[in-house]
Amino acid sequence: MNIEIRGLTITIGDKPIVRDVCMDIADGERIGLVGSSGSGKSMIAKALMGLLSDTARVSGSIMAGGRQLIGLDDTAMADLRGRYMGMVFQNPAAALNPVMTVAQQVGLPLYLRYDLSLDERLDRVKAMLDKVGLSQDALLKYPHQLSGGQQQRVGIATALITSPRFIIADEPTTALDSITQRQIVDLLTSLVDDAGASMLFITHDFAVLARATTRCYVLDGGSIAETGTTASLLREPASEPARRLVAAARQLTLSRDGGIGDGDVGSRESMGVESGDRVIMRKDGGDE
Amino acid sequence: MSAARVVMRSMWRKASGKYALIVLGLWVLVSLISLVWTPYALLETDGFHAWASPTAAHPLGTDGVGADVLSWLMAGSRTNLAIASLTVVVAGIFGLALVAAMVSRHTALRSTSVVVVDALISIPTVLIALMLSVPFGASTAVIVAACGFAYGLNLARIVRPAAILAARSQYVESAVWSGASGSRVFVRHIMPNVMPVLLVQLSMSAGTSILAEAGLTYLGVGVGVGVPSWGHSLATSVRFISIYPLTVLWPGLIVTMTVIALHLFGDALRDAIDPLTNPELREAA
Amino acid sequence: MRFVAKRLLLFIAALVGLSILVFLALRVLPGDVAAVMAGTNATAARIAALRTQMGLDRPLPVQYVDWLGGLLHGDLGISAISGRSVVSQVGARAAVTFPLIVLSLAIALLIGLPLGCAAVITRNRRWRGLFHVLAIVGGAIPALWSGLLLILLFSHGSGLLGLFPSQGFPNDGWKDCGRAMASLVLPALATGITAGAGIMRYTRAALGDAAQSQAVSMAMACGMTRRQALLRVGLRLSMPQLVSVIGLTFAQMITGVMVVENLFALPGLGSMLITDVGNRDLIAVQSELFLLAAFFLLLGLAVDMAHHALDPRLNTASDDVQEVL
Repeated sequence: MNIEIRGLTITIGDKPIVRDVCMDIADGERIGLVGSSGSGKSMIAKALMGLLSDTARVSGSIMAGGRQLIGLDDTAMADLRGRYMGMVFQNPAAALNPVMTVAQQVGLPLYLRYDLSLDERLDRVKAMLDKVGLSQDALLKYPHQLSGGQQQRVGIATALITSPRFIIADEPTTALDSITQRQIVDLLTSLVDDAGASMLFITHDFAVLARATTRCYVLDGGSIAETGTTASLLREPASEPARRLVAAARQLTLSRDGGIGDGDVGSRESMGVESGDRVIMRKDGGDE
Repeated sequence: MSAARVVMRSMWRKASGKYALIVLGLWVLVSLISLVWTPYALLETDGFHAWASPTAAHPLGTDGVGADVLSWLMAGSRTNLAIASLTVVVAGIFGLALVAAMVSRHTALRSTSVVVVDALISIPTVLIALMLSVPFGASTAVIVAACGFAYGLNLARIVRPAAILAARSQYVESAVWSGASGSRVFVRHIMPNVMPVLLVQLSMSAGTSILAEAGLTYLGVGVGVGVPSWGHSLATSVRFISIYPLTVLWPGLIVTMTVIALHLFGDALRDAIDPLTNPELREAA
Repeated sequence: MRFVAKRLLLFIAALVGLSILVFLALRVLPGDVAAVMAGTNATAARIAALRTQMGLDRPLPVQYVDWLGGLLHGDLGISAISGRSVVSQVGARAAVTFPLIVLSLAIALLIGLPLGCAAVITRNRRWRGLFHVLAIVGGAIPALWSGLLLILLFSHGSGLLGLFPSQGFPNDGWKDCGRAMASLVLPALATGITAGAGIMRYTRAALGDAAQSQAVSMAMACGMTRRQALLRVGLRLSMPQLVSVIGLTFAQMITGVMVVENLFALPGLGSMLITDVGNRDLIAVQSELFLLAAFFLLLGLAVDMAHHALDPRLNTASDDVQEVL
């Protein structure tokens, strides 16, 4: 599904959180939305899914697959959400329904929006669990009995079970440890590519972004500061916000790794880093 | 401008805050006035004009013995003001002491207090008042004691989550490690964080104490005989409700309006004190 | 299971503590208990007789144990005033009070829960304001006043619309269900409305919080409309806290129930207690007070168990209830 956002402005109270944002996501593309906390990234995601609270006022245009989303009533929006869109949340421990088993949770979108028998649903749920790398005995478990990584896999399974055309991942790895982060990002990207869907990947971490997206938008104080391919942005961030984020990513990456000295962080050349991909390889300690 | 003035001004801005401040202000004013003057002396009765409807001479009419309703309500306002204030003080101190125990570092103290609060909280205020009234007789002190105790327990339970959150913060951890004593940590770090919740609860307790007084006085375990209070006015008018329905109107109305004012006061205070909801406060502080 | 055992132990300990409290409270009297009971005009002989009859000349611990033993056998003592056993009266009285309490609670829930939910679900600002006002006003009306207003409006004979009786309870009890029920309607409404306003406020607060949670957002992302997500997920998630809070409301309702029993002249436990306190019938008061308070302790126990059962995070794994708030 292709998404076209024009002049999106979101105001809460009298403060505009998102100002005049324009974005394009073509069918099958994996786009990143990056910015520091408070820049309004989650607001955009919520606006796309129709999840904004009543206190927010939205203006502008969001076209999804040729359909205008702004002003769409909740029932129609719910239908879209269930069938054609999926969302992976930041904190699966908080997002997953604590009184639902994994089977019930993953099967929920099917149950709500499709007319299938219990067995048919169960089959698809089992197939999905396979795809996200969870064993079948997770079916009857409750979220609090799973690890963070497993919970997020459940979140991904739930988001993808209806084969949606568009997926939003709102900081899906922020609450996870670095090793699991990599696994989850890879899982997500491969599943999205297999399905031929488009994805909006939201994060504040440029390192993760490089792995998950081909093109990205940098958001600062509610407006788009810069856009371009992820690789080129990492190499040569033009705007100030982008520069800050890239530098932050590199600092964190390197100090976590521990292997490279804490000397000259500013100079890319001294690291021998030539492109965005290399940054990730260094973080792994060269096992890629 | 001092923080206190900023808070008052923010409260005044909203319609609900204005109402609350006006009604509460009137209440205090009338109570003070009644100490020196009421339209008629309380014991002055006019037997010929019992159960009179409102007239120029008696703006709110008279009751069963011909005493002036308005005067009794005015005098009653100071009793209720005293009860509400004292209940707030007792509940506040008792509640905070319990909260301190419930977040203390001594496991035994912590567990015991939580257990005790949970056990006692289900006992209704009226039963406590009844229990106290047997040895001590019905009096204002009994009401204050019973309400203060019950609301203090309630307060402790409601404030506890906020206190725990504050107790777990880095700030408190580092203060404790650097050797600050338990009480110092509590007063300087935990209390400010639970203030909003505390204040709302206290104003609600004040409101509930007025409702409780009305019921308890009616049941005979409230204020002593002959002591003016709104509950007293309400209770006396009950007996002849079918003959003179209007007499019931005034005390009930006053109680309701005051309780509403107290609730709104609590809400408005909470919004005004919280720097997150009150931008002006950030500049003043 | 550990939780259940712990909580039961706590309940029993509280019961014992309560019994001691009630026992002592009634002995801390200025003057002599027997004298107080006998009244101001009693002769010395009468007081002495009363003292022996009531067992008041024996040491305190013995009296306490005797009383406790009696309680366990269903013997609540002899009323000094009527001379009859307390137990015989309690039954008939309870048959009035307990249904009244249940009916009041039902009304409170029927008013409070739906209105509280509606206040969060509605997207219309006017309605939200209206609900807010309703909750505040409803919670500020003393049961006495609402009872009186209801009498004015609905009672047979004197009210505007004579629909319900406003005084007394049929003598033959529940044999005529219709009449008995009709006598309870107005009193239950009076207590139920105030309690309902409280429940409405709590429901609104709890559901309002849940509305911001990620779980509700995720439910919507799965394809639920906002209203479905709030009711199916939000409400379910707030259930544990709501149950606790409703339990507390229930306890506070007793004041209203006692007031209303008096106002509507219902022969219930509340009015019995008040009369006995007024008569200084200490033996009767002792047992009645204990029974009523014990009932509420039991209620608190039930509420805690329900809370625990409803929160799946507390059910499996650790039973460290204190940590999981």
